[in-house]
Order: sequence, then C-alpha cells, then structure tokens
Amino acid sequence: MKHIHISMFLGLIVLFASCKKDNSNYDYKSNEQITVSGIESVYNVVSEKDKLVITPTIESTDADAEFDYMWGIYETNVQGYAPVLDTIAKTKDLSYFIKQPAKAWVLVYRVTNKKTKYAKYTNVTINVGTEFTRGWYVLKDDGTKSDLDLFLSSSATALTEVKENVYSLINGAKLDGKARMINLFSSYKSDVTGIVANTKALFMVSDKDVSAINVNTMKQIRNMNTLFFERPSTIAPNSAFCASSAYYLINAGQVYSIGTNSLNTGVFGGRKLKDALNSPYYISDYYYTGTYGDPCLFDDLNSTFVTLANGSGTTLTNMTDVAGTAMPAVNNNKKALYMGFKSATYIPAPVYGYTTIGFGIFQDKTNAALKILTQMDMDKLKLKLTNDTLKTTDKIYNATMHTLLDADENMIYFVLNNQIWSRNLSNKFEQLQYSPPAGEVVTFIRHKKYAVVADAAFNYNYVMVGTQSGADYKVRMFTKSSGSLSATPALTLTGKGIVRDVMYMSPSVSEYSYSNTY
Amino acid sequence: MKIFKYIMIAVVMFTMASCKKDQYYLYNDIARIQFGPDIKLIYNANSVLADTLKPFTFYYDAPEVTQDTVFFDIYAIGGVSKTDRTFTLEQEQLANGNNAIPGKHYVAFNDPKVSKLYVIKAGTVHTKVPVILLRDPSLKTTTPILKLNVVADANFQLGERKTLWRKIEITDRLSRPAAWTDSYSTYYYGAYSTVKHAFMISITGQKWDQVFMSQLALDLQDYYISVVKTALINYNNAHPGDPLKDEKGQLVIFP
Repeated sequence: MKHIHISMFLGLIVLFASCKKDNSNYDYKSNEQITVSGIESVYNVVSEKDKLVITPTIESTDADAEFDYMWGIYETNVQGYAPVLDTIAKTKDLSYFIKQPAKAWVLVYRVTNKKTKYAKYTNVTINVGTEFTRGWYVLKDDGTKSDLDLFLSSSATALTEVKENVYSLINGAKLDGKARMINLFSSYKSDVTGIVANTKALFMVSDKDVSAINVNTMKQIRNMNTLFFERPSTIAPNSAFCASSAYYLINAGQVYSIGTNSLNTGVFGGRKLKDALNSPYYISDYYYTGTYGDPCLFDDLNSTFVTLANGSGTTLTNMTDVAGTAMPAVNNNKKALYMGFKSATYIPAPVYGYTTIGFGIFQDKTNAALKILTQMDMDKLKLKLTNDTLKTTDKIYNATMHTLLDADENMIYFVLNNQIWSRNLSNKFEQLQYSPPAGEVVTFIRHKKYAVVADAAFNYNYVMVGTQSGADYKVRMFTKSSGSLSATPALTLTGKGIVRDVMYMSPSVSEYSYSNTY
Repeated sequence: MKIFKYIMIAVVMFTMASCKKDQYYLYNDIARIQFGPDIKLIYNANSVLADTLKPFTFYYDAPEVTQDTVFFDIYAIGGVSKTDRTFTLEQEQLANGNNAIPGKHYVAFNDPKVSKLYVIKAGTVHTKVPVILLRDPSLKTTTPILKLNVVADANFQLGERKTLWRKIEITDRLSRPAAWTDSYSTYYYGAYSTVKHAFMISITGQKWDQVFMSQLALDLQDYYISVVKTALINYNNAHPGDPLKDEKGQLVIFP
C-alpha cells in the first residue's frame, strides 16, 4: 500500500508540471471583416503637378467599429539603401500633392478598428512621372547631329502633345553624330540624387557619342568622356544594351560592361579580351539577348559567336557547338548581315534559366553570293545553328533592313527596294506588306510590343516603319493580324529629321519591358 | 532501504527541475582591455579577428621618411571611467622568429614619447594605439616581426585571450598588403609575388598598398584587373619565350 502511495505522490509531482493556465478562445463569433472600396489598383501622376485625391469607403462587420487611418508611401526598385515608409496622412480621405521623384511607388492605406485593433492594409501602385516619363521617344538625326522628339500620349493610339528636340532643349546641344539606337537601363547607377542609387537612364547612342540620360529630367548623366574608368582611344559606339548580370556598351567593336550583380557606380570597366593572347576581334552591330540570359554576340573578324559568361570576367567566351548543328559556332567564315531576338523559353527546375531563339542572316566571306538564314538556339554557352540557304530569287536575299516579330508569329519583316516585306520562317512564304507613298524613303523598321498589366491603356503591339521625305520623318505604327500588317497604321508620328529608333516610355517601362536586340 | 530509494528518486526529479543553462561570462566585472577591429566593424562577427596582422612597408615612402606609424584599435570593457586610464603594452619574443628590435625597428613601448599615448580617455572605451616604426637600413633585406601584447596593470586586467595581441611585419621592400587576402588571390589577383605586385604598380600607377586596396571599389577593381591582365598578355606577347616570371621563377598569372 505504501508503494502505491509513494508512487502516486511521485506521479502527482510529475503531473503538476503539466498544469498550465487555459488561455483558449471560446468566442465563436466570425472574424471581423473590414472592406475598403473606392481605391484604384494603379494611379499615374506627375510629380510637382498632380494632387492625389482618394476618397475610400470603409465598411466593417463590427457594427460598433471606430477607425484609425494611416496613409504611407514607399519607393520601389531601391538598391544600396533601405526604403522607408513615409506617413503622409492620418485621415480617412487622401488629398496629397505629389512631390516624389519619378518612379514606381507603393501607397499603403491602413484602416484600424480602434476597438478590436484589427487592421486592414491596402497597397496600390503609384506611378510618379514627369513631363518626360511617359510618351513615344523618337531618336532622329540630321545626318551629323542627333536629338529626341517626345510625343505625349493619352493611350496607345492617341497623341496629346509633341515636344520637339527635347534632348537639346534640356542639355543645350544635340548629341554629336548620326543616331543609332536608344535603350533603357532602369537600374543604372548614378549620384544625380546625391547618393549612388538606381536611376532610370535612357541610353542614346550615335556613331560618335553616347549619352546616358536621366529619364526624369532629360538631363545627361554621363557621355563617352565620363562613362568609362578609362576613355577608349577610339570613339565609335555601336550599341548599348542590358542582359542578365551586366549592362553592355559596344564601342569600335569592343565589349565593355558593368556587372550588375555587384556594387557598381555606373561606370564601364576595361575592354574585354578575346582570349588569353589578346587576339583582335570586332563585335558586329547585331546582337540579341533574352535579357534574363547572357547576350549572343558575333565576332565578325573571327566569324565566331561569343558571349560574356555570367556577365562577368575579363575575357569573352566562345560559344560551343551542339550535336547536329549545321555549322560551327567558331571560325565559320561568315559575316553577319543581321541578327535578332525571336523568343525565349523558361526551363524550370533544376535549370531555372532561359533558352533563346534568334535568327540571323550571314554571308560567306569566301563566296559572297552565299547567304544563309540561320536559326540560333542558344542554351547558355551552347549554340545550335540551323541553316536555310537563301536563293538569289528570294526577296530577303537582297534585303537592307530586318526585324523579327518578337515572340509573335514565326516571321521576319524586311525592307527591299523601299518596300516592307515579310517572310514566314516556317514555310518561306514571302509577301509584300506595305509600300510607302512616293518620295518617302524607309530609314527604320522595328517590331515592338508593350504588355504591362499596370499600364493596360498604353499596351501595344506594332510593326513600326520610319520614313524620310526631305527634312521630315514619319513613323507609321501598324497592328498586325496573323502576321500581316493592317491596311492603315494605328498611330503615326511626324517630325523633322531622319528617324533611327522609337521607344515608348512610361513609369512602368523597365529594362525588361522590351527585348534587348538590334 | 526502499524509502531511501524513493527519496533518492524524488531528489533526482527535483534536481532535474533545477537544471538551467549557465550564463556566459560577460567580462563586465572589472575593467579589462583587449584589441579589436575598426570601430565600424565591432558588431560584425566575421571581423572579430580583423587587423591581427598588419604588414607595413616603407617601400612607397620618399627616402627622407625615417619613421611611420601603424595604428591598432583597442577597447576597454567593463564600463567607462571618469578619469583617463593608461594601459600597458609589451613585445613578445617569438621563438625562432626575426623579432623586431626596440629602438631600431620601432619606438619601445615604454619610451615616454609613445607610452603617454597609450591612454583610454575618460568617458570612452576605445582608442587608436600608435606603434611608431623606424626605417632601419636592415629593412631593405629583412622583414622583422613585432608581436605586441597588452599586459595587466593597475588600471586593466586582460580581456578575451584571443584578442590580447597584434602583429606587424616591418620591411622596406614591396610586401603583400593585408587586403591581398587568400580569398582575393583565388578570385582576383592570383598568387602574391613581389614581381606581380611591382608590375601592377608600374602598369596602373597606383600604389596597391593597404590603404589603396582596402578602399578599392569592386567595379574599379574589376577595371584594374582587366588593365593589368591585358598588359601582362601584351608583355608576354612582346617577349616570346620569355614570359613574366616572379622571384621564385613561377609564371605570373592573373586568374
């Protein structure tokens, strides 16, 4: 009996340790619901001009609810410092004069039931712009000097105002040289705000200079004299573009880059080497990237496909062949007449990367009459080339300008005898698409599309055709159906000069919005 | 006997309930002193042993420079004091080492010129420890080592054991800066050699000393590496069959 008592006593000691206070919730009422309505998901406003007015309606399942309110705002695309939520109001309705720098911000609205402390958060995107951050930019020149025209728009098809020569208007002079291209670097580093931070920069490239322009102010940040740690001895810019892990600037056929995976100050480093012997090379004007991968470049001097592996290092990497390739990626005795981006495919785990398809037209260096249309399947550093030898009777054989339909129909557009033609890349069918009016000379052709959900009213999918007539230019933007152009353009831009490139800009446009390709 | 057994079981159970983890020793009982990293890095766990060794060279200095100063960071723990507190340093003789000689390679720690500087000021817990190095002609051919320890005195007892010492390698020759770490050798510069170091200096016009390398921004470093790599290739191309080799006869290579 004693044993039982002692055992029970010891058992009780252990059981005491398991006692705890019951804090269970026996309130079976359903959770409180706070509903906020009357707030859009996106607001587009202009800094130092617009007032953001929002009058939300608040409802709660708690009939006795009394609310506290808080409006805060924080910036996105920040690198190098932590964004801070700035409280801008503690009232139910918001009436706030926008003074933030142009970029995408997030507005936070918090409604708190003072009695239950339950809070409802609503986040919306605020696209803060300036007079320069939304519209069609047209890069043009007069043969020796380059400038930008800006066409303000209220939708993808409606223009509201034209600002001619905005670059020289703000910077006091046109960019020296004949215009080549414009491209956006949305995380370019500069200290225009006083600290080194991401700056949305438009790179304007001519054959004699490059201007990195702050999109918010249209002011030049750097040019060829200041874009490099060491200014190249020969100034002959070819292109400027973004790819995974690096920004690229090709000058005099030589590759320069800024690694974007590590801290940088927006200055391009040393010239990349071809190999361990510092052999000469010359990168073609034509290139493409999937933006999420390394670029596909072609060394015209050595007839070799190259890239900068992972956007880093001091030496270019030759592409390697895939079994079944139609010609070697290295020393193939070809010269690039055109090369561009067609599509990209995401490969999930365990690869987590993209393969890209591009097309190019190459001419044999020994037999100049031999021209091939080549499909390039790029998987990191491996390249499979599929050739289609062009007949001299093919319209594309003598084409002068080309553009691939970016991730759309399997077609390429080109210019022949001042007319716009298309070629179906699957069945080789060629078709006349558009003939400009007499007296107009085609100077530019490009397919571009813009499909950002937050900017739906401005989304477009156009084949752009730029022409010159005397001192004037026209850019006709055609929609297409099953790969064929509409009879009339959806939008036409007109101005003075010779058009070389066109880009639609908005606060939502980033370096990933358009394919980085010639 | 059985009762004794039950009592023992009960005692063991109660004893187990009394178990708890012992507190860390916080060194906050009395004033102690120890070396540490730069004050910007004191909360960085990876920097606890930073600056234990500082190579120093007079190589970059003009011929008329006869002395220079190396600084270490030292910290008092156990709280601040209302009065200035001196601390004491002494040299440790390394067995089989080329030990620096006071008065020849450095100003002795008990020399009034420097001993008056070894003070933690009132209301503070940190100061910079100056060690004055002397440019002896022997440094052109040797690299003596000065190992210095803090020692307990009337003001301070010793802090953590692993933070009680610092080392200086003194020379008048080109020497590997502390910033040229093994990690930097692997990823950026390759194996250290004085030939490579001198080549980098001549090509870039930069000192590539501790100050320069420790403050070198990553993108600028990438630029300089591309410059010296290109220059090395061009040198080797211009000297067929006679590429640049280091003092040990090994090929100079940038990875």
